[in-house]
Amino acid sequence: MELLLDFVIVGLSIGIVYGLVALGISLIYSGLDIVHFAHGEVYMIGAFIGIAVVKINGIPYFGALVIAMIITGIVGVFIERVFYRRLTRGGGGYTVAGMGMIICGFGMSVALQNVAYLIWGASPHPYPVNFGMPIFMGNIALPKPYLYILITAIILMVVLHTFLTRSKLGLAVRAVAYNKDTSYLMGINVPFMISLIFGVACAMACVAGVLIGPINYVQVEMGYLMLLKAFAAAVVGGFGSLPGALLGGILVGVFETLCAGYLSASHKDIYAFLLLIFVLMIRPTGILGILVKIKA
Amino acid sequence: MLEIKNVVTGYGKVQILNGINLSVSEGQVIALLGGNGTGKSTLLKAISGLLPVWEGSIEFIGEEIQNQKPNVIVKNGLTQVTQGKDMYPAMTVEENLKIGAYTRNDKGEVAEDMKKVFDYFPVLGERRSQLAATLSGGEVQMLVIGRGLMSRPKLMMLDEPSSALAPKVVLEIFNIINRINKIEGITLLLVEQNVRMALLLAEYGYIIRDGVIHLEGKSDDLINDDNVRLAYLGGTVADSDSAIA
Repeated sequence: MELLLDFVIVGLSIGIVYGLVALGISLIYSGLDIVHFAHGEVYMIGAFIGIAVVKINGIPYFGALVIAMIITGIVGVFIERVFYRRLTRGGGGYTVAGMGMIICGFGMSVALQNVAYLIWGASPHPYPVNFGMPIFMGNIALPKPYLYILITAIILMVVLHTFLTRSKLGLAVRAVAYNKDTSYLMGINVPFMISLIFGVACAMACVAGVLIGPINYVQVEMGYLMLLKAFAAAVVGGFGSLPGALLGGILVGVFETLCAGYLSASHKDIYAFLLLIFVLMIRPTGILGILVKIKA
Repeated sequence: MLEIKNVVTGYGKVQILNGINLSVSEGQVIALLGGNGTGKSTLLKAISGLLPVWEGSIEFIGEEIQNQKPNVIVKNGLTQVTQGKDMYPAMTVEENLKIGAYTRNDKGEVAEDMKKVFDYFPVLGERRSQLAATLSGGEVQMLVIGRGLMSRPKLMMLDEPSSALAPKVVLEIFNIINRINKIEGITLLLVEQNVRMALLLAEYGYIIRDGVIHLEGKSDDLINDDNVRLAYLGGTVADSDSAIA
């Protein structure tokens, strides 16, 4: 029983990390009408930026998290403005231009990986922070980073939800996600909003990277598998739905950890996709799947 | 107020408008009429800034606005009310109206204007916290007109407010449009396929065909013009003369 609880808590934490990356993918999908294949690499770069900031003396872990978020967000805006803007201008989604965007995403993924390789090298980097002793709950020893993931995720969700539903800017984000031309006619600066959406999505990926850093090592190739699992999470939850992305992430994380614990740990990476296949068989739109046109 | 001179534009390399001339004075209701695919919506997009203007000029209150960004044009008081299907279905009625006031920062007056919109369209007030997706066709049309009012426009361009609506609802909406012009003093450019209704409301009409203004004149003259009657009206005008008070 205690083992089960342990697995669930660990799975929940890992799942939230998947969910954060999936959330970014969903945000970009609803805002820009593109599927962003380089998001795993943004997550990796975010984790490395986190290490660089943590190494500066006097900056605590959570301070570094916020700073890394901002820097990665700016990097994201740069990528969108300089590389993607020209392609998305021709329309994304299922158009021919959208096809070009997919190729461009793969290209960006390779490019970012190689940039990271040049800067940080191929070896795994440990996170230079010491969280001290794990927390004991009965007989379970829970390392603190797992707890931090839960807390951070809850805060982030509340902030994001309040932003999207209560603020004027959040309302504009939802408007742009639904229809760009109409939103332009409302007086919304659409190109600016698109940059904002992309930046926020990249900041989310960075949070995921910095949070998982102390649990796993940070290395150049970590983005690839994360991207696939985040996609699985986004599709399980219902593509384009923000609560769905997080829910999907949690389901994938818990399912994966339970199967790895009770069945076989060496096949850990299969289970996410097994769950994906099950969900698609029963509910092809994903759990919180919505009508194609009512997004965000 | 709005002076359009020799505007040429189109999509990609396909030219749609071949030199449009049109002018709207303050306080007027002007009708822009024409069948499908004649360039009505293209002209609206060019005025709103969604389409680049290739040649010619668009002047709004003494300032050239062609090729400005749409959000800047809206802020200057020129608002386009798109067809009803362009509301935000996943947002509530109230949120839809708030988006309409996006360019404004005076919270108190925005709230007052929302009350005003609910006065014009009581049914929107009743459904203010309902999702827009649950509204009927007529209510959606009211919503987008209300959303346009929320930006406090000096000139409002209405894109086919009567499309796909029952005759009774069309009458109701045209009545309100008339009141908006008379009471709020908002100048209106009314783009319509419902030629008879539009000419009853407007003082002056333009008929667009193949991307040029084919015919223009005072509404009374247009209604009695044999060509217009034959091409667009059919039947007598007298029946609906008293419909709009």
